[in-house]
Order: sequence, then C-alpha cells, then structure tokens
Amino acid sequence: MKNLMKLSVLGLLVVFLFTSCAKQPTQQINDAKAAISAVEAAGGNIYAKVELKKLNDDFNAAMDEVNAQSKKLFKKYGKAKEMLAKVKADAEAVKALIPARKEEAKKNALNAQNEAKAAFEEAKALLEKAPKGKGTKADIEAMKADLAGLEAQLNEVQAAIDKEDYFGAKDKAVSIKEKANAIAEQVKAAIEKVKGKKK
Amino acid sequence: MKLKAVGAALVLLSLFSLIFIGQSCQTPPAPPEVKEALAQEQDLWRAGASFFAPKEYEAYRQHLDEARKFFNQEELKIGYFRNYDKVREQFRQVLEEGNSLKNLVEARKAQAAGEIRSLKNSLYERYRIFDSFSLELTMRNFSRQHLAQADVMFKEVDRLLEQGKYDQAREKLKAVESLLNQAENILRRQLERYMDPAQVAAWKKMAERAVKRSEETNSLLILVSKLERRLTVYKDGKPIKTYEVGLGFNGLADKLHAGDDATPEGEYKVIRKIGSSKYARALLINYPNEEDVKKFNEAKKRGIITERTKIGGLIEIHGGGKDGLTQGCVALDDDEMEELFRMIPVGTPVVIVGTTDPNNKIISVFKGEKKAETK
Repeated sequence: MKNLMKLSVLGLLVVFLFTSCAKQPTQQINDAKAAISAVEAAGGNIYAKVELKKLNDDFNAAMDEVNAQSKKLFKKYGKAKEMLAKVKADAEAVKALIPARKEEAKKNALNAQNEAKAAFEEAKALLEKAPKGKGTKADIEAMKADLAGLEAQLNEVQAAIDKEDYFGAKDKAVSIKEKANAIAEQVKAAIEKVKGKKK
Repeated sequence: MKLKAVGAALVLLSLFSLIFIGQSCQTPPAPPEVKEALAQEQDLWRAGASFFAPKEYEAYRQHLDEARKFFNQEELKIGYFRNYDKVREQFRQVLEEGNSLKNLVEARKAQAAGEIRSLKNSLYERYRIFDSFSLELTMRNFSRQHLAQADVMFKEVDRLLEQGKYDQAREKLKAVESLLNQAENILRRQLERYMDPAQVAAWKKMAERAVKRSEETNSLLILVSKLERRLTVYKDGKPIKTYEVGLGFNGLADKLHAGDDATPEGEYKVIRKIGSSKYARALLINYPNEEDVKKFNEAKKRGIITERTKIGGLIEIHGGGKDGLTQGCVALDDDEMEELFRMIPVGTPVVIVGTTDPNNKIISVFKGEKKAETK
C-alpha cells in the first residue's frame, strides 16, 4: 500500500514536471515578432520583400508547431523554440541587409538624378545657342516650354528622394533624361535646318 | 568447441537481425512534393497571387497549411511508423491547385496589363493630338509644360508595367490624365471657334461663295483652310491643285494685330508678286482689309488691345517650307511655291478660313473627350 502511494506521488510529480516545464514559449514568440517588426520598420517591405515574406512564413510555421504542442498532454516546445530562435536570428540578419540595399537604391536614384540634370542642362544650353529665325522661333518656344515641364518633373525627383522613394525617383529621373535627350535632338535638328537653309 | 560454434552462430544471427531490423526501421524520406509545394508557394507569392487572385490564393494557402500540418504530425511519429502516402497525396493536390492558380494569376496579370496598356494608349492618343495642336497656338507654353510632364510620366508607366507594378502604373496614369485635362482646358479656350457650328457655317459659306464666283467668272481662286493646313487652287470653280502649308506661329487664331503671329481669316486678293523675297517667291495679299480694320478698331475701343498696338501687314503666301511656323503668313515648300507663283496672277482672290468641315478633327477630339468623361 505504502509503495502504491509512493508510486502515485512519484507519478504525479513526473506529470507535474512534464506539464510545468512545457509552458508556451511566450518570450521567444514575442522576440521573433519584434524582430520581424523591426525588419518592417527598417523598410523590409521595400528592400527585403522576399526575405520578409519568408520570415513571416517561418514564423507562422513555428506558431503552428506551438499550437500543435499546446493541444498535447505531454507538450514539447523544443522544436518550436528552435524555429522561433531561427526566425529571430534570420530577421536580424535580414534587417542588417537593409541599410546597404537602401544605400544602393539611394545611390542609383542620385546617379539617375544627376544624369537627368545633366541631360536637361545640355538641352537648355543647346536651346540658348539655337538661332531664333523665322523657321525656328516657334520650335524653340515650344521646346522651351517642354523644358519648363521637365524642370517641374526634376523637382518631383528631388521630392521623391526626400521621401526616400528611391525606386520611384530613379524611374522618373531616367524618363526625364530620355525626354531631355529627345529635346536636345530636336534642337540639333532645328539648328541643322537653319544651317541647311543658309547654304 | 561446440559451445563456441553455437556462440559464433548466435552472434552472426544477431548481427544479421540487427542489420535487417535497421534496414526495415529506416526512416522513409520526406516526399519531394513537400519541398516542391513550398517553393511553388513562394513563386506564386512573387508572381503576385495575393494581389491578383486573393481569394484563390488564400484557399490555396489554407490547403497548403493543412497539408503541412498533416506532414508535421507524420514527422512526429517514430520513423518505422511513418507513412507518407497520404502526405504525398495531399501535397500533390496542393501542387495541382497551385498550378491552376499560377495560370489564373498569369491570366489576370495579362488582363490587368492589357487594361492599363489600353488606357495608356487612349491617353497617349489624346496627348499626341494635344501635342500637335499646342504647336499651333499662342498659349503653347502653358499647355506644353503639362504635355512634357505627361510624356515623362508615360515613360514611367512603361517602366512600371515592365516591373509588374500595375497599381502604381494606374496611379501614374491618373496623374497623366489630370495633366492632359489641364492642357486640354488651355487648348479648348483657343479652339472654341472651331467647335462653334455657327462659326464653321460662316466659314463654309464664305468659301462656297468664293468658289461660286470663280465658277461664274471663270477665274482662279486660292482657298486656304487653316485647320487642315491646306491651300487649294480653284479654276472655274473646280479644284486644280492642293498644297500642304505652314501657318503662323499662332496660326489657328484669327489675326487681330501686329505681332500676334496669327494668320488672318477673310476675303483677300493678291496685290503683288514678289519674285525674290526672303522666303523664295511670295504673293503679297491685301491684309488688313476693311473688315480687319473694323475688327481692329472695335478691339481697341473695347480695350482688348492697347492704343499703341498696330494692325500689322505684309501677310504673304511664300516659300521657306511648310514645316516652319511663320508670323502669320502662309508658307509652302519652295518648289511648290514656284509652281503656285507661276500660276497665280495679281488680283487673284484669296480666301482664308478656319475650316469648312463641320465635323472637323477638333470637334471629334473634344466631343470624344466629353463622351469619355461622362462614362
């Protein structure tokens, strides 16, 4: 009888130990969540879209494991903890990638902006040199107006850079450069036209 | 000795048994469909499934999750008891669903891109027309500023489409539309006369009267239609030659005073033939006529023009090229001017009208716009 009592107490102790040791890994869950939020805050949605998606998927898989274990009598959160720790470590690694990517995007946007400015200035200088004859006066006036429109768009490139929309800024700057080059070609054609008439 | 042999046999037997058990208890490998499905999900997400087919993607994700959970449960079992047959089956179904979803996403993407391209093309057509009109008008500076910006944005839309950023492309096209609307408002103010049926009827009447007179008097007539940039020579009331012409810097407007760069409208005649002018040959017309002087004086009285403003003159039909804009004259290519010069004597009537076409291109452009706006 005594032995039976001892065995029961021991059994209860074992059950207690199993259940009390297997609490949900709340801290690890919060840490992983915070690490993912930090990636988002650093611009992960723009500069690490694919990685962020994978982090969220891995986090969800870890939570599935947590939920699966929570329904069991003998809970083992070891695997879930490992998964959550990996999510956290991966998130930190992804977050570390973002500044360089952002910097690269900024560099590309600034380069494109400079090239657009240079193309704009070149077209403007050409236009100032263009002979304003009867045949070219109208064309020159029209191209001046076109350049005024481009100047407004160049200001928008700066506004996009100020808002850290580097991809948008780059796209706009490249488009401005193309248009400025096209205007420069038109100016050259107008100059050639006048030269041809003088011959 | 016998005992030793039995012992050795037992050891060998145990070894074989262990190898056999070890082999039969080996954990079966996870089915390759699991990895494939997970990779497929990533591909679908990258392709924009959550955006282009959100409901279907959600259902697919749910089925994938269920399959994954089922797989995890199987993984929890001891290797010998694991059976991946059902797991494999579930993942195969998910993969099939994913393939259908991929096709759906591609189809919806193509549809979205097609819609955006079609919208872009219709806006670009508007842009092209305004761009061409704006070159003929005084307020070109303001309208062209808007048009140049719109052109930059068209290029951005192309880039966004290439990158599959359809939402941003749509937003950009809204900005383009707004710029085109602003340009259009400026242009409309300049082109209203061409949309006024009474004005077009008056021009038409003037042209018909002149043609009839040419027929009755068996004489030549020059009819210039500004909107169509066309000069037609009539003889005995019948068209015998047509030339494409260039007009004033502000060609579509009616000339009111010196320096407005507009081409006058009305009934004139050739008053002098200039054999050697700055722009090859030239036919000087009698601008300003009585009507022009009357209109000019009224404008002065109403304060539309200042007291110091002059009415101007020296309006010619000359060479120099139809592609260059003038200060109000009508310009032809040199060889065509040579031909016209030989054909036309002093005194030939010259009638210049805006247009004689009641369904002219300006009406079709702007009325078309009106229809589009009300949709």
